[in-house]
Amino acid sequence: MVSASTSTTSSAQPMAANAWITEFLERLPAPSGDLEAVQWRGREALARQPLPSRRNEDWRFTDLGSLKALDPALLAQVEATEGTDPAAIPIADSADALPAPAAGTMRLRLDGRHDPLAGQTLPAGLTRLSGEELQQALGHTLARCGCEQHWPVEFNQASASHCLALRVSGSVAETLELVATASGESALLPIRVLLLLEEKASLKVLQVQLGSGSSLSSLVVEMHLGREAEVQHGLLAFGEGEACLLAHLAVEQEIESRFHSVVASRGWALARFEPRITQVEGAAHTDLKAIQVAQDHQLVDGHSRVEFLGPDGSLEQLHKAIVDGHGHSVFDGAVSVPRRAQRTNANQMSRNLLLSDQARIDTKPELEIVADDVRCTHGATVSRLQHDQLFYLQSRGIDAATASRLLKRGFCQEVLVDLPAAAASWQPLQRLLAEV
Amino acid sequence: MSTASTVSDLVSQPYKYGFVSDIETEKIDKGLSEDVVRLISAKKNEPAFLLEFRLRAFRQWLKMEEPDWSTVSHPVIDYQSIIYYASPKQRDKKASLDEVDPKLLETFDKLGIPLSEQKRLSNVAVDAVFDSVSIATTYREKLAEHGVVFCSISEAVKDHPELIERYLGSVVPANDNYFTALNSAVFSDGSFVFIPKGVECPMELSTYFRINSEDTGQFERTLIVAEEGASVSYLEGCTAPMFDTNQLHAAVVELVTLDDATIKYSTVQNWYAGDENGKGGIYNFVTKRGQCRGDRSKISWTQVETGSAITWKYPSCVLLGADSVGEFYSVALTNNRQQADTGTKMIHVGPRSRSTIVSKGISAGHSSNSYRGLVQIGPKAVGAKNYSQCDSMLIGDQAAANTYPYIRSQQPDASVEHEASTCRISADQLFYLQSRGIGFEAAVSMMVSGFCRDVFNQLPMEFAAEADKLLALKLEGSVG
Repeated sequence: MVSASTSTTSSAQPMAANAWITEFLERLPAPSGDLEAVQWRGREALARQPLPSRRNEDWRFTDLGSLKALDPALLAQVEATEGTDPAAIPIADSADALPAPAAGTMRLRLDGRHDPLAGQTLPAGLTRLSGEELQQALGHTLARCGCEQHWPVEFNQASASHCLALRVSGSVAETLELVATASGESALLPIRVLLLLEEKASLKVLQVQLGSGSSLSSLVVEMHLGREAEVQHGLLAFGEGEACLLAHLAVEQEIESRFHSVVASRGWALARFEPRITQVEGAAHTDLKAIQVAQDHQLVDGHSRVEFLGPDGSLEQLHKAIVDGHGHSVFDGAVSVPRRAQRTNANQMSRNLLLSDQARIDTKPELEIVADDVRCTHGATVSRLQHDQLFYLQSRGIDAATASRLLKRGFCQEVLVDLPAAAASWQPLQRLLAEV
Repeated sequence: MSTASTVSDLVSQPYKYGFVSDIETEKIDKGLSEDVVRLISAKKNEPAFLLEFRLRAFRQWLKMEEPDWSTVSHPVIDYQSIIYYASPKQRDKKASLDEVDPKLLETFDKLGIPLSEQKRLSNVAVDAVFDSVSIATTYREKLAEHGVVFCSISEAVKDHPELIERYLGSVVPANDNYFTALNSAVFSDGSFVFIPKGVECPMELSTYFRINSEDTGQFERTLIVAEEGASVSYLEGCTAPMFDTNQLHAAVVELVTLDDATIKYSTVQNWYAGDENGKGGIYNFVTKRGQCRGDRSKISWTQVETGSAITWKYPSCVLLGADSVGEFYSVALTNNRQQADTGTKMIHVGPRSRSTIVSKGISAGHSSNSYRGLVQIGPKAVGAKNYSQCDSMLIGDQAAANTYPYIRSQQPDASVEHEASTCRISADQLFYLQSRGIGFEAAVSMMVSGFCRDVFNQLPMEFAAEADKLLALKLEGSVG
């Protein structure tokens, strides 16, 4: 309910927000390259569209303060930054203290400036999209998922000058690992990925987003899954300091395709994840799992939307959050079942651990159903660790601290088990729970 | 005949309270201005503080905008084409019911609300509100013996101005939202209940609201105060005649409980819902809120919503006291083009406060039925507990069921649980019942009744049957 007080406090903001975006747009280098047209489009849209404010229902719980604290003039130097020699970039792993890629993994470094495929041999089943194919396909899934005009998407379009665009045919044995690291003061890292899966194709893809300093990572991923295609997608997002992340994932699923996604995140001053899934004719399966950890003054926001445009689709969604310190976790999960989506089976669960009395959790599942022959459930819980579980473990001789660690591990593991196997070398569990 | 179409035939019953009573009514001119607010206040001989309250609210209203966040949609309401005051032409409340216009009594008799006390078998006191004015309140003397005040707001303003000044607008401030501001400016009548310290109200209290004239808005205000250790159970019912135009009903209900007090507030809402094409019907934009101010106090809302073209209401509890309890039990049935956006807010402030939400939505026809709830646990609500369950049943594939449960928690030592499901009348259950020789209609009725049982169980004895009948009425009839 809109109370009088919220509307008055936010009235002063748009001015400042507009000045922020105006300065950003003015300082951006002129559009060029493969994505020139898209960049123009994004910039025009940003110029028209103010920064999302909390009066907008989708941004109601999301304070963009951490984003606005970044210097727009520096962010805009996205491409002018003195880069390393392009030829040296893609393969260099050893120097960065990144774990060695797991066996059977094809690692690509995305820096938003250089072609990650330069000098690389793609595994069988993966081919690069031609310029023409890219023009045709880019943005299609975003439009299909109804999010091509969302602010984080336009922001990415305005600044990204490169897109990793691959066609996937047949079953790809190797795991595709996309690593992006952002660091530095008000440094912007815009990443754009497009994956087109042909009929019966299958792919495991693991994305790793690391952020430090006061960097901003902007990620837009589009995936189109043809009939009977299958994707196992993992996103490990670990930040520190003032780093912010805006991640947008648009997925279009044809009949009998299967999409599994696991998102694990921790440490960002501000992180927003927006998976948007559309089952274009229903009869597909979607598995969405996420675990997000927020502490200090961090804000982590998961905004999903799953739309069934045909019958017999299914969804299993599990969203978890652990919040400590002054952290704030948001979950807004919409499920839309129109009339043609008969016999949809959608289950959504939001589980939250609130560990400090300064922390805050907002969770808002949304079901919109117009079909009558459906099974839809959702649930949400918010509490601290259960006393009876702690008691049980303690009665078995496990001390309180270990018991509570054990329960938190179990809480996270339920989500992490479904990550692609290649994720293990990144030690997601340890990263999630260190010192929580 | 397919199951789906038969079931939708079943829920499409004619509205039987749609008659218009031919009663001479005194109305003021259409439109709203500061003069109209002053005129209403003058007509009711109100003290200065109340006029000031109305004017402040009116000035606020002018600055506000109609809320647009809900899922309901309707043509723009022209607030200048509404009549803000209408009363049956019969001034002064009568000392005895014998003096009340027999036509009025007949109207209420037709609605099944006998006002003559000797005819009333069950032990229930009734306040009847016709258009803008309270007509009669029964059992007043008996209640007065216990110190209970049960009268219309207008009388309370005259007889107990200090209570009104103290409590009116203290739970729902005039500027809370667009419709409360409007109501606060032009409210005409409603019920006032005051239960003094330690008194358990000896009988059920009930108010019956009837809109009779076309183009009239009804803006009633209900205020119930239960002092320390007091308790009361209160029921409201509402109907309106069938018109092609929409009437606006923007009520405000405020409840206050002090230490150890309990208020149980039940609503059976059956305003005219419009015809099958969505023509006519009441816009029911209501703000209901209770404050559990005292420790161990309790407020329980039970609502059965079957009428209105549009329902927009969220009976809420602000749980300020330690160990206070809030409850919300709701059945909302929508059919044809009805829209309902309803739910509750449980604001936990006090430690160990507990709340329970049980919401059952049934959508049929082209209707849309949304549950929208907020459970908020404040940082001081140590040990607070909430349990919410909201289930939807869809009848036919044109109806929409939406759920928007918001949960916000800032207290780790609190637990919040929410569950929701959506289903339809299952063919195998129906088949099972029919194979046992139960008719189709009775079987559907039985299943709907079972679906709503958790809520009906909360209604006061006298009205549980009434509510069951009301749903059955919408479900009975035209089977092949």
